[in-house]
Amino acid sequence: MRTVLLANLRVHAARLVATVLAVVLAVGFVVATLVLNETSRATALASAGAPYLPAAAVVTSLDGAPVGVGALLADIPSVGAVAPSWQTVLPIEVPERAGVRTLLVGSVAEAPELRWEQLAAGSLPDEPGEIAVDRRSGAALGDVLTVLVPAPVDRTGGGSGEPTESSATVTGIVEFAGSPYAGLFGQAVVTPAQAQAWGAQEPSELRVAARPGVSPDTVLADVSAALSDRPVSVLSGAQQARSAADDLTRGHLQLTAVLLVFATVAVLVAGLVIANTFAVLLAQRTRELALLRALGATGAQVRRSVLGEALLTGLVASALGTGAGIGLAAAVAALSGGAEATIPLVGLSVPPWAVGAGLLVGTLVTLLAAAVPARVATRTSPLAAARPMDAAPLRSRPGAARVVLGLTLLLPGLGLLWIGADRAQVLVAVGGGVLAFLGVVLLAQLVIPVLVAGAGRLASRIGGIPAQLAAGNASRAPRRTAATALALLVGVTLTAAMVVGAATTRESSTAAIAAAYPIDVVVTQGSDPLPRSLAGELDAVTGVGASAPVSVAELVGPDGQPVQVFGIEPGAGGRAVRSEASFRLPEPGRAVLPPWLATAYGVASGDAVSFTTGGRALDAVVTIGDDDQSEVLVTADQLTATAPDAAPAAVWLRVADDADASATVERITQASGTAAPGSAVTGMLAQRAQLDGLLNGLLLVVTGLLAIAVLIALIGVGNTLALSVVERRQENGLLRALGLTRGQLRLVLAWEAALISGVAGVLGVAMGIGYGLTGVNSVLGGVGDVVPVIPWLQLVAIVVVATGAGLLASVLPARRAARTSPVAAIAG
Amino acid sequence: MSVPLMTIPDEAPPPARATAVSARGLRKTYGTGDTAVHALDGVDVAVDRGAFTAIMGPSGSGKSTLMHCLAGLDTPSAGQVWLGDTELTRLGDDQLTRLRRQRIGFVFQAFNLLPALDARANITLPMQLAGTRPDRVWLDDVLARLGLSDRLRHRPHELSGGQQQRVAIARALLPRPDVVFADEPTGNLDSRAGAEVLGLLRSTVREMGQTVVMVTHDPAAAAYADRVVLLADGRPAGEIQAPTAASVIDALHQLGD
Ligand SMILES: Nc1ncnc2c1ncn2[C@@H]1O[C@H](COP(=O)(O)OP(=O)(O)OP(=O)(O)O)[C@@H](O)[C@H]1O
Ligand SMILES: [Mg+2]
Repeated sequence: MRTVLLANLRVHAARLVATVLAVVLAVGFVVATLVLNETSRATALASAGAPYLPAAAVVTSLDGAPVGVGALLADIPSVGAVAPSWQTVLPIEVPERAGVRTLLVGSVAEAPELRWEQLAAGSLPDEPGEIAVDRRSGAALGDVLTVLVPAPVDRTGGGSGEPTESSATVTGIVEFAGSPYAGLFGQAVVTPAQAQAWGAQEPSELRVAARPGVSPDTVLADVSAALSDRPVSVLSGAQQARSAADDLTRGHLQLTAVLLVFATVAVLVAGLVIANTFAVLLAQRTRELALLRALGATGAQVRRSVLGEALLTGLVASALGTGAGIGLAAAVAALSGGAEATIPLVGLSVPPWAVGAGLLVGTLVTLLAAAVPARVATRTSPLAAARPMDAAPLRSRPGAARVVLGLTLLLPGLGLLWIGADRAQVLVAVGGGVLAFLGVVLLAQLVIPVLVAGAGRLASRIGGIPAQLAAGNASRAPRRTAATALALLVGVTLTAAMVVGAATTRESSTAAIAAAYPIDVVVTQGSDPLPRSLAGELDAVTGVGASAPVSVAELVGPDGQPVQVFGIEPGAGGRAVRSEASFRLPEPGRAVLPPWLATAYGVASGDAVSFTTGGRALDAVVTIGDDDQSEVLVTADQLTATAPDAAPAAVWLRVADDADASATVERITQASGTAAPGSAVTGMLAQRAQLDGLLNGLLLVVTGLLAIAVLIALIGVGNTLALSVVERRQENGLLRALGLTRGQLRLVLAWEAALISGVAGVLGVAMGIGYGLTGVNSVLGGVGDVVPVIPWLQLVAIVVVATGAGLLASVLPARRAARTSPVAAIAG
Repeated sequence: MSVPLMTIPDEAPPPARATAVSARGLRKTYGTGDTAVHALDGVDVAVDRGAFTAIMGPSGSGKSTLMHCLAGLDTPSAGQVWLGDTELTRLGDDQLTRLRRQRIGFVFQAFNLLPALDARANITLPMQLAGTRPDRVWLDDVLARLGLSDRLRHRPHELSGGQQQRVAIARALLPRPDVVFADEPTGNLDSRAGAEVLGLLRSTVREMGQTVVMVTHDPAAAAYADRVVLLADGRPAGEIQAPTAASVIDALHQLGD
């Protein structure tokens, strides 16, 4: 049988192209996902884990309190050095750069073996007065930075006093790429003594190095023993590094999980395409197989020959796919090397198990997908060889059992989906979604041919006889039509679900993010009051979308205590604030009170409240502010009417949506530093931009990769059409003899493709809308309000693209069909 | 119906009025060089209008090839073919296709019907392809003659071989073509069903004035025809007027020598 197998592979190689392509794409997808995951893991370990890798042991406080055991550890004989990590956040002025910038300042280890910082230039600080900074800080080697050290705050909260000025010379530039803290603000390191002098918090983490010649395990054991009764965790450096890397990559792991779900779908679709290909391939060879049987081949031999063909095809395609996947991962890694990436990928880690998984998945899927058609082929009776070619076509109708089973899966599935969406239970919704989809798959053989026939009736109004013949062709082989449409249906459903889910998530989370971070940037006064012109000047800065000045005056509250009352012009305020969902602005005649102050005054919403100064009173009706609001807010007009001397206190800025966040913050810092030296720039823009970017990236990646599933499905469509051309050679020849022109024959194939992919497209979009909305509801329903969005334009585009691509897939088979000579067809 | 599509050919005079189809110097060669097969090697033939003509000859003598060339299904390597005033050998593929739709009917040995369509749809298919509606009275007349009136909703696999051939004949007759070509129409039928089909073909000639050209192996079938054209090795090998089974067997016997 081996000769037959090899001869078959040679002769039918062209027909296996579709199978090979489907496997290559699916395996490539899987391998690329695994390799990228491993690479980002390795990169995270190298960056976030870097501080811990040189340490033999890392002591971390379990309750966040300082670990004051440095001296105790230093006395352990096996311990070589101890490096506490001091940290603080300080406002720093950089020479020749206006404005104050906020730097995250850490301490460098005194022992060289515990130092991990990577220097781009210069050296690490060795004594107080020296500092090494990253590039984001904007400082250069040799600059003398002015550090505004806040006055120490005592535990009673009553600390006061002016900040003191200190200075430090930049001795080195450090690379912090990949640090979990790399954000909009810069980072710096100083000696532990300097960090303490600048008021850094007591360290809650110690890194311990082994004495030369002592094994790290001994140190770990000694340190664990010495600290066994304290509320600390003791981990080896490697363990701590892994846990830090895991913290950093948690978001990415979720992304990996999502990608793997889609990779599974891609594999599934590939499976459908492969099963379809083999079924048709073997159906064509019925006579050939029957002849083999008649000549004495056993059923098992025939099955082995078919499965051998599948195995070889699967192996070759999987190997190609694995290579393609690694290439894809390399391309993505190269593209994501930008400095702004949360984790810029370095190098490429290709774990052997990922390669193994790719080969295994591809080969297994091909084998499994070919198994059913192979079993059917084995049942070929030797008599089939003698039967004429035009044996009556089977108009197989799905059995009642299939319908019943399909419905028993579909209906409870839909119920679970509904419950999952309603109660925001992701797992319930996923379970329901899977059940419902299986139901749809089972019912597809019944539903899709009916839909295609219906669409065909509509189409034959415009398309005439070719459309009618096409509809007949499509609904005559319901099983094949369903299988073809199903592959496309899966892809389109997921893409549409993703598009709807993305639009809804985007709308819902934009609202949620805006509510959580209502004001992008706040410029507040330092030692000197802000000039009144500042708001106007900042408004002119490129990237600033709206600005609102805030003024302040000290009035006396109803409890007789002085209180700072802030004034805002409601119109400008409304424009500068992103969302008033959790941030109340005052209407004229109203005063927004922080909840705790309302309690202190003993007033509730709607009560009257009065503030006084210099014999004048500010009477207003109470509005209770959100929990996060900490100031009394009234309208600017009302404040100046009572306190004409109210001074500018801050400017709220809203950054335009299309502006580059960090460049705009830089420009704002420059402008406010020039106009009002000592003013500080703070705000939530960084967090907002980061969340926004993450969401955008996620949606983009997932949607893009889904296109692969659709691509595989379209290969399936082309494949089915190509095979149907071969299968219907005689039929097409007869039609040509009876008067169907070449152009009309091409049209028949085009209509067939358009009908199948159009129906799959419309059905997929309809299901996708359902899945997308229920999916988002089940995930986000518990977190906040879901704003359903159905992007019709994109959905219509999906149907158009699916249909258009289906048409494209029909071009080659149609050309081949048109070449059929009427004579060759009749000759059989 | 028979509107001249082309101008009068200049190489040769147009065939006489009483000729439905004719060919002159017809050659068809498959392959090249040493392996070339001359399926037709210079055939001149003319088929009378309103007559039943049979083409006979040993297997491989070029009967099917000749029929395909006469019917515009295949293009000869050399020579000319006329259908009435129309020179087929000058037409492009689309023109030939349209001509087949309207002016030629076919009955093949097997695979005559589209399995997806029921009998009625199969019968009206050429008219549908041409975008015309069948004449109801004529349709009913044809169906009644062929005894198909109660079989219209059946699909091919629900019909017997003889019934399938009758459906194919109905389809061939419906557009009132200039010529009906039949390639071994009884080859797959038993003798009773075969006799029925042949009787029907002859009655369309007698009663409707239809021109029929039939390729056959069977001397008994050839006896239904008005004239038998004999073919051997791709060349004409004589003809028999008003053939009987005996005279055909005799003529074939002489060819074999
Ligand atoms: N497509 C082709 N390629 C090569 N040779 C061909 C082709 N079609 C026919 N022939 C050859 O042309 C010759 C005539 O074939 P044709 O089919 O016309 O014979 P026939 O008289 O119809 O035979 P039969 O009675 O067996 O049907 C034969 O020798 C055949 O081998
Ligand atoms: Mg023949």
